[in-house]
Amino acid sequence: MTRLLYTFNALLLAALLAGCSASNMAQLQDSDDGESLVVHSNNSLLGNRLSVEEIRRKRVGDLLYVQATLENGWKFELDFQYKIKWFDNDGFEVAPESQPWRQLVMAGRSQNNIQAVAPNASAVRFEIWARE
Amino acid sequence: MVRVLSMVVLGLAVLVSGCASRVNYGDAQARETVTTDFGSTDLQMIAAKMVDDMMVFPPIVAITQSRRPVMFVDQVKNKTSEHIDTESVTDTIQSKLINSGKFRFVDMTVVNKVRQQLEYQQDSGMVDQSTATQMGRQIGAEFMLYGNLSSIVKRDDSTKDVYYKFTLKMLNIQTGIIEWSGEKEIRKTRKRTLFGL
Repeated sequence: MTRLLYTFNALLLAALLAGCSASNMAQLQDSDDGESLVVHSNNSLLGNRLSVEEIRRKRVGDLLYVQATLENGWKFELDFQYKIKWFDNDGFEVAPESQPWRQLVMAGRSQNNIQAVAPNASAVRFEIWARE
Repeated sequence: MVRVLSMVVLGLAVLVSGCASRVNYGDAQARETVTTDFGSTDLQMIAAKMVDDMMVFPPIVAITQSRRPVMFVDQVKNKTSEHIDTESVTDTIQSKLINSGKFRFVDMTVVNKVRQQLEYQQDSGMVDQSTATQMGRQIGAEFMLYGNLSSIVKRDDSTKDVYYKFTLKMLNIQTGIIEWSGEKEIRKTRKRTLFGL
């Protein structure tokens, strides 16, 4: 009986703690030279399953227009949110509160292209952040 | 027996403390999925998609290459069965477009206030005429933004499916030509599951 109660309490505590955990994030960042890709992650699951296959960029007028090809290396569906942060030449984030988290559901072992346009002409660099 | 009781009390205490109400500030940009009704995430997704689409459309890029055209926002008709403040959506789109440095806007909702202020400056005798703003110097809008928000709702005993379609158009006032049109579709599904889990 006592063992059962211990188990019950342990499970209860685990469930509560899981509900209280902060949302983990993975950061997918393009390097300054635009050639290689750097992937930072503090969420091992999402970071291991999600990768950036390719990043393309061009200018439309004077605005930076980027496309990132994301790959879900996991065999199951991956449901996550991503956000693109833009930075100017001095490293200041451009319009930090105007970029929403966007939902993306990727089928197992699939690739998706995400696209975004810089909020204004001062943005020269960007980072892609992902979280579950 | 005492240990058993204390374990039960501890378990209940943890449960009860988990039910206490608290107020927290959250991330305004975070995904919101409380109900299938139109929400903040929908508004943000629509605004971002519309502005991104408009900014990369080649004729718009050409128009805004060397000048900042003046626009005004008419309205987005709410054709859904919900009460939705569509002006809030167009306000966000307008803010993003202004901050992109590509467009300027005239605000038709404050025309009467502006007229009152101009009449006060011109006619009241209270304002130094060397500093008074002159009548008839406003810049006319070249383009108009307007659109529709519609929805299709389907439901059965356990599922509710809502499909939203937001359409925005940019019309050249002089020629009557629609220079650009963008659409954003959103599908939200709510499934009632066993035991609410």
